[in-house]
Amino acid sequence: MPDFKTEIRRLIAELNLSPEHEAEIVEELSQHLEEQFEKAASEGASEEKAKQLALEELIQPCSLSAQLKRVKMPSRLPSLAVGANKTSQRFAGFWDDIRFGIRMLRKQPGFAVVAILTLGIGIGASTAMLSLVQDVLLRPLPYAHSNRLYAIWASSESTGQSQVAASGPEFVDYLEQNRSFAHIAEYLPLFTFTWTGDGEPKLVNCTAASEQFFTMLGIRPYLGRLYEPHEYTYLENDTLVVSYRFWKNQLGGDPHVIGRVVHFEGQNQTIVGVLPPMSDLFPNTDVWPKLTIRPSWPYMQWRVNKFLRLVGELRPGVTTAMTEEDLTAILRRVPEEPRDVRVHLVPLKDDLVGSVRMPLYATLGAAALILMVAGINVAALLLARMVKRESEIAIRLSLGAGLPRIAQQLVTESMLLSAIGCTVGLLIAWSVLRLLARVPNLPLPRMDSVHLNGPALLVTIAIATAMTVVFGWISSVGFSRLNLFSALRPRGLGITGRRGLSLALLVIGEIACAVVLTVSVCLLVHSFWRVIHVDPGFQPQSLLRVYLRTNYYGENGRAFWKGVLTEAASLPGVRHVALSDWRPGRDAATATFVFEDRPNDPTRLRSGEGSWVSDDFFRTVGTSLIAGRFFTQHDDDKAPPVVIINDEAARRFWPGQNPIGKRVGVNYTGPGRRSEAAPRLREIVGVVGNIRHDSLDAPPAPAVYLPYLQDETNHDMATMSLFLRAVGNVMALADSVRDRIHAVEPNQPVQNVQSVADMVSQSIATRRYTLILVGVFAAVGLLLAAVGVYGVISYATSQRSREFGIRMALGATRGQLVSHVLRSSAALTAFGSMVGIVGSLLLTQSFSSLLFEVSPLDLFSFTTAVMLLAFVSVGASLLPACRAARVDPIVAMRSE
Amino acid sequence: MTIPLTDRELKKGSAELLILSLLKDRPRHGYEIGQLIELRSRGALRFNVASLYPLLYRLETRGWIRGRWVEKSGQRRRRYYRLTPAGKKILAAQRDGWREFVEAVGRITGIEYA
Repeated sequence: MPDFKTEIRRLIAELNLSPEHEAEIVEELSQHLEEQFEKAASEGASEEKAKQLALEELIQPCSLSAQLKRVKMPSRLPSLAVGANKTSQRFAGFWDDIRFGIRMLRKQPGFAVVAILTLGIGIGASTAMLSLVQDVLLRPLPYAHSNRLYAIWASSESTGQSQVAASGPEFVDYLEQNRSFAHIAEYLPLFTFTWTGDGEPKLVNCTAASEQFFTMLGIRPYLGRLYEPHEYTYLENDTLVVSYRFWKNQLGGDPHVIGRVVHFEGQNQTIVGVLPPMSDLFPNTDVWPKLTIRPSWPYMQWRVNKFLRLVGELRPGVTTAMTEEDLTAILRRVPEEPRDVRVHLVPLKDDLVGSVRMPLYATLGAAALILMVAGINVAALLLARMVKRESEIAIRLSLGAGLPRIAQQLVTESMLLSAIGCTVGLLIAWSVLRLLARVPNLPLPRMDSVHLNGPALLVTIAIATAMTVVFGWISSVGFSRLNLFSALRPRGLGITGRRGLSLALLVIGEIACAVVLTVSVCLLVHSFWRVIHVDPGFQPQSLLRVYLRTNYYGENGRAFWKGVLTEAASLPGVRHVALSDWRPGRDAATATFVFEDRPNDPTRLRSGEGSWVSDDFFRTVGTSLIAGRFFTQHDDDKAPPVVIINDEAARRFWPGQNPIGKRVGVNYTGPGRRSEAAPRLREIVGVVGNIRHDSLDAPPAPAVYLPYLQDETNHDMATMSLFLRAVGNVMALADSVRDRIHAVEPNQPVQNVQSVADMVSQSIATRRYTLILVGVFAAVGLLLAAVGVYGVISYATSQRSREFGIRMALGATRGQLVSHVLRSSAALTAFGSMVGIVGSLLLTQSFSSLLFEVSPLDLFSFTTAVMLLAFVSVGASLLPACRAARVDPIVAMRSE
Repeated sequence: MTIPLTDRELKKGSAELLILSLLKDRPRHGYEIGQLIELRSRGALRFNVASLYPLLYRLETRGWIRGRWVEKSGQRRRRYYRLTPAGKKILAAQRDGWREFVEAVGRITGIEYA
């Protein structure tokens, strides 16, 4: 090839261009001429001829320099190539780095898949949990002045009650005397109405609220109107406001629903309004009846009936402490209140979602630990991989790449990794949230509004950015002091020095996190095991419960209840039937006691749980008799009044004595009581085992059981549960039970027919789901830790194969080599476990409220966790250890 | 017969139009531009290096085209020229002007242009 460059340079020399400029023109034009030359040559011209033809291009028809002189040369764009000019090519280099990064990932698909999945799982778990926490716990209530809305509760240390609701007169006192609230309202959630006349008789869920409730929350009707002030001045419900959910699901979303008459509680009621969707406020509510203060139902006028929930909106500038003082002073003016009674305020949002706060934060903590383990895992993998890339980096450095350029490449690669990891993580988070939304009966409020949300995404992006920086930094650890000689020479004996130490520290950190996770889950498992092995005091298996909300009050219902009992008892396979107002898994009604054998301070009456029961109740639910006798058919309204107490009441009120034959007056409080007559003294005829009325993990309280036919307070007893003990599958009885009840009363809604075993299990649902979630996270954490340990140990052993070869050549046995490798992994595990135990000691205290009869320092859980981790960790290093020991000494020593 | 394009013709603007038209669809390097002019005119028109590159540089100075070195793996780097938005406008305007000129010549000489 002739040299055209010299010729071109000669021709344009007179133009006095800048050297760079000249070089570019020379390069561009000479390329052209060379191609011209090649073309001519390929068409058969001799070399001399071809050269001449090409050179003529430069001077014909006029000379190049003359032409060029007339052109003001354009400013030049930087070239789109790597390595030509360092400062102006960030962007081009960036895309090259990305391409190179993708190539590197594709070259090592194992590493790529493990790293991306690990990151994805960590980011996914924590983003999902952050979204949950944000939407369930943190998101403000969507109501006017939501930061000034507080629930009002009373407490008293002397009676041991920490959260007492209010009575009607109490509310009126607060309403008239308080100086702190702009608005104050009372409400009553979770009761039912019967709905008849529109097909199958049904039950609707109600939340009743007093006059200021909707105004205070700033809720406007979706259709129609709310209640008008004058409607709060009479007791009957002839107008109704229904929820959006009820309108949509039960009334078919009829836009002309206003004015429609429905038959609730055996009365005609007109729908006047539909509320907007309210997922934060008792989302299961179908109907919002009004709650009137003046006039009010008799049972709302008794101070002992504390069942109303209060909510108030503070005046601007008023503090909660001032308000608590204000209300406490008002409450203490009531002579019947305990002397040490105190009012405390709880932000309304916390009041509504507070029960899931600890479980959610615990799960979020577990997810954060997963993220940490995942991050550490990827960092360790990167660090181990970097050692393999030392020679590549060294060559780059020696070819003139600056350290910043190398760092840019490594950071770009780690950014690529965390970006892909983030994407996978977001997909995982999205799927987890979708999955959670489909779990039936998930005991999580506001669940329908949970979605992958902004703050969670922001945190994820922040985490990804932090990881990018950390990973990039970790990758470049040691390169600043790298020189060509040390990097290219055959490798030494294993991981040593700064990078080796970093690797070891990472594995220790990872094991520590896994230990914390495992300890936590062991504590939860141990608690759960304790809970499900709690003696519930009855036999939930083969027990069916039918919830019956009737329109019968007091004695009017006697015939109905008797008929139901007779009909149900005649069903094939049914052994025992009974009635009670107790709802399994729900706390029972409160009763206060007046003892005949001691003075009773009216301000400090002892209290406990109370239930109305029919005579065969204890045999039906399977509770054992400890002393005395069960009720019989003869304990009716004509017989002397009797009561059965539970073991806890016997121990607490008559320690060391026989309570049989003692007499006690029982004031059965709660809604539905219709006279304030002083309680009669009842003779204790029996002591039974402690039934866990509430959930299994609530401690047993003193309880009394009264024959439902011996009711001096004329309690309305419109709602009772029918219990059936049968052989075989009780749910198979559901239809025939419904038929028998309809035979007694065709308009009776029979909706909630449940197996009591299911109800008991639902009562610990929060605990179960917390355990499942944290358990899954801990399992993932363990798996990731195992992968990390495996990765690091197998990397370290592969680096030391030469050393192992020498050892074997010198007479070391395979067993000795295996134990040598295992020892180093055991040392890492031991260090990690120690750090993890210290971390657990600090952290597990914070979730002691999730534990049940298990100390946060539970030795069993700690031992199990550490042993499990040691097992996993040593197991993970067994494979690389065996691989190292199987190596042929000759091959090993020749390698590298 | 091959007509070497001279400075005068360049001044008339027809050569500019040729180059802008060739760059309309995609970026091309100088040699490719020269080859395409020769090929598409079936050898009737041809640029010499001494004319082509100064013209390219001039068009670049006017901001109608932009040249940039591009490196492709396995090849030496080449300077590719692409049309700028300003160049696209000029091309559209020149095309209209050229069509009018050709039609006018046709009417006068009686030669039919397809």
